Amino acid sequence: MVDLSGKTRRELVERIKEISGQNPNLCMQCGTCSAGCTGREFMEFLPRQVMRMIQLGNAKALNCKSIWVCSTCLICTARCPRGIDIARLMEALRVINLRQGREVLIAEKIPVELLTQVPQMALTSGFRKLSA
Amino acid sequence: MRVPYFPGCTLHSKAKGLDYSTRASLAALGVELTELSHWTCCGTVFPLAQDNYIGMVAAARILANAAKEEGGRLVTVCSFCYNVLKRVNYVIQNNSEARQKLNDYLEENYTGEIQPVHPLEICKEHVGFNVIRNKAARSLKGLKVACYYGCMLVRPAAEMNFDDPENPTIMEGLVTALGAEVVEYPNKITCCGSYQVLHDNALVMQRVEDILNSAITKGAEAIITSCPLCQFNLDWLQEKILQKNAGFRQIPVLYFTQLLGLALELPQESLGLDQHYVDPRPLLVGA
Repeated sequence: MVDLSGKTRRELVERIKEISGQNPNLCMQCGTCSAGCTGREFMEFLPRQVMRMIQLGNAKALNCKSIWVCSTCLICTARCPRGIDIARLMEALRVINLRQGREVLIAEKIPVELLTQVPQMALTSGFRKLSA
Repeated sequence: MRVPYFPGCTLHSKAKGLDYSTRASLAALGVELTELSHWTCCGTVFPLAQDNYIGMVAAARILANAAKEEGGRLVTVCSFCYNVLKRVNYVIQNNSEARQKLNDYLEENYTGEIQPVHPLEICKEHVGFNVIRNKAARSLKGLKVACYYGCMLVRPAAEMNFDDPENPTIMEGLVTALGAEVVEYPNKITCCGSYQVLHDNALVMQRVEDILNSAITKGAEAIITSCPLCQFNLDWLQEKILQKNAGFRQIPVLYFTQLLGLALELPQESLGLDQHYVDPRPLLVGA
């Protein structure tokens, strides 16, 4: 686990706030986001837990599978009783990684059978969200 | 009525049936779609990072080009295209800094005057479900249909301003007008997993099984959608579900425009009904 100093933690929170335009401190940990999340069963940390990690400036939020499993369906955003656009916070965590070259969708690894069948929009959207 | 039309990249390739059935059905209802003379991919996903202006450029260019045509509206049917065009337009209307940056980059002076419109809205508000009921020469009476909206048509509600984000009913209104029976089921606004099909296939499989089974359990014989990626995930993955579970009963997944085209008695061979993994023709020939 990466243990950051207080200053580094604050810098991470500020960076996430700047990219997302959201205030993670509004989150009251009710878990509504996690209950409806499309990828919830494939995440090691549910969106509610990722929100808490962001509040604390915990760098684990940057390295967790959850942010890459998110399908940006916006159901969390739509239902958050605190009005947080949670999908934007998840995106901020992705783009901090992507802008440093860390990506999860590698073109060469997509099975040919799938590559030739999927609609074009899947490739464009997948690469935009999951590739550097 | 002539309205500018943006098909989007998938409709010129993998979802030709959606393109044709949209143009032909609306033409039969008196709405002629005229394809924009210049267009590119819309970018497919609205950028959720505040500083990602480049992710909005393609959609902004399409909207600026549409503003040079007559009509003040732009019809698009793919849920992703509709979502991106509408959200980028909302940004251009409401965020002066983003508007300035996009216009400077594009060398345009677009201020958000175009209204992106979905064919479902054309059917309901411009043509009217009653008119469609009268024009539908072939009744789909007895056909049990589950309407699937997914994410992109309805969310985020304030920007999309499309229908009730938790319980949209516009597609059900159309189905009823065509004489078919609406099947209520709990998953019409959940997500199919979207582009995760390229990255986390197991996730999409699980979501798709959940959506299909809930519709099938409620008695649906067909599912309709307006999104080529939902259509692909819900249709194509049924082969994999069948491999896993031999008892799985397949269900055709159609575009709502194909159902509309059938009811309007458009030539069946041009509706793209042969392009689905689960062949809808045995069901619809007898419908």
